[in-house]
Amino acid sequence: MPEPHFAAYSFVDRIVELVPGRRARGVFAIPARVDEFPAALVAEAVGQLAAWVAMDAIDFRGRPVAALATETRFLADAKPGQTLELTVDIQECDDDAVAYSGSACVDGRCIIELVDCLGPMLPLGDFDAPEALRERLALLRGKGAPPGRFAGIGDIPVTVTHQVPGHELAASIAVPAAAPFFADHFPRRAVFPATLLLDLMMRLALDAARGPHALGRSPRALRVTHVKMRSFIAPSQRLDVGVTLDPARDGIARAMLTAKTGERVVASARLELAAGA
Amino acid sequence: MAEIAVTQDEIMAVYPKVAETMADALGCDVEDIKPDVSLIEGLDAESIDFLDMVFRLERAFKIKIPRGKIVENARGDLPESEFEQNGIVTEKGLVQLREYLSEVAADRFKTPMKVADIPRLFTPTTFCKLVVRAQKEAGA
Repeated sequence: MPEPHFAAYSFVDRIVELVPGRRARGVFAIPARVDEFPAALVAEAVGQLAAWVAMDAIDFRGRPVAALATETRFLADAKPGQTLELTVDIQECDDDAVAYSGSACVDGRCIIELVDCLGPMLPLGDFDAPEALRERLALLRGKGAPPGRFAGIGDIPVTVTHQVPGHELAASIAVPAAAPFFADHFPRRAVFPATLLLDLMMRLALDAARGPHALGRSPRALRVTHVKMRSFIAPSQRLDVGVTLDPARDGIARAMLTAKTGERVVASARLELAAGA
Repeated sequence: MAEIAVTQDEIMAVYPKVAETMADALGCDVEDIKPDVSLIEGLDAESIDFLDMVFRLERAFKIKIPRGKIVENARGDLPESEFEQNGIVTEKGLVQLREYLSEVAADRFKTPMKVADIPRLFTPTTFCKLVVRAQKEAGA
């Protein structure tokens, strides 16, 4: 039986306000049964709300796929059982790209901010059924979708192949051949989500920064900048991730993150980290 | 649409900020950005980088550059059917292209030239001209 659509990687339950092509507010209830809801998935939820506004604005001819994110600030963690209050402001939107900023809050307190993101628009029909998305948007704008369908991401094999504590780390990621999230991302063309890759790269950067040589026992991510996805990552692909950490200055360390397939850089980002409380 | 003339002084006036913006987008040192370097062949830029650069330049200069329309702009007043046929730039199209991309060395215009290969000709100077034209259009 195929995995259901709008379940394993859909992070907007309801859109409570939508000013066409301009802005939107929405909510997503993180199921209490999941172990965690990483910051990269919170960013994904904000991006998905922007994608709904963008697809609606161009009458579902295209959808944003992959992304550039100038800056994402991590202000606090999201916890299972909490409800994310999502907001996006669309700066520009046409058939070529959507530019937006946005945030996610919990109980009125902002936990993540996305600044100047850009999603290239690609033909929607290559990735999903336009009618299914129209119906879904109508549902989200009406009574909302049933919450609680997200069951966690599951294990994605990551092998650290080289590490110099406090300086650098290399690892390989085996993108699964099949996973529930591919049913959402996307039904007609499976693409490994950029935000899942970002989550894995950030975890590796935190590993690299952990220890007496760097940021102590519990480093935390402050912000990620220059996020750029250069190409689609398909199921079964192997990714080589590199983390290079600069020495901490004023308590903040900067890491350069790259993911390659062969010699080709498919994703890159810069991460700022600090010692945890 | 008549092409807006751009002088060398106007290019040099915006060049430092354009180079800095491009270096940030491409993740390289600003010293690696030379006015006439091919962005694709010399700096490994890809299509997503072009989108990134245009987005950053728009914010840096507070201008609007029509995304995805740079090649279209290069066509100028020439109808598409006269500019290219079956994805190959026509003789007339090449004359227009050489004029539009006057900063690009003549030997870099290959014949036959595929329309898809036009971005290979783009240099930082090409983007300086885009910025200056956008500034003039905004002020017009």
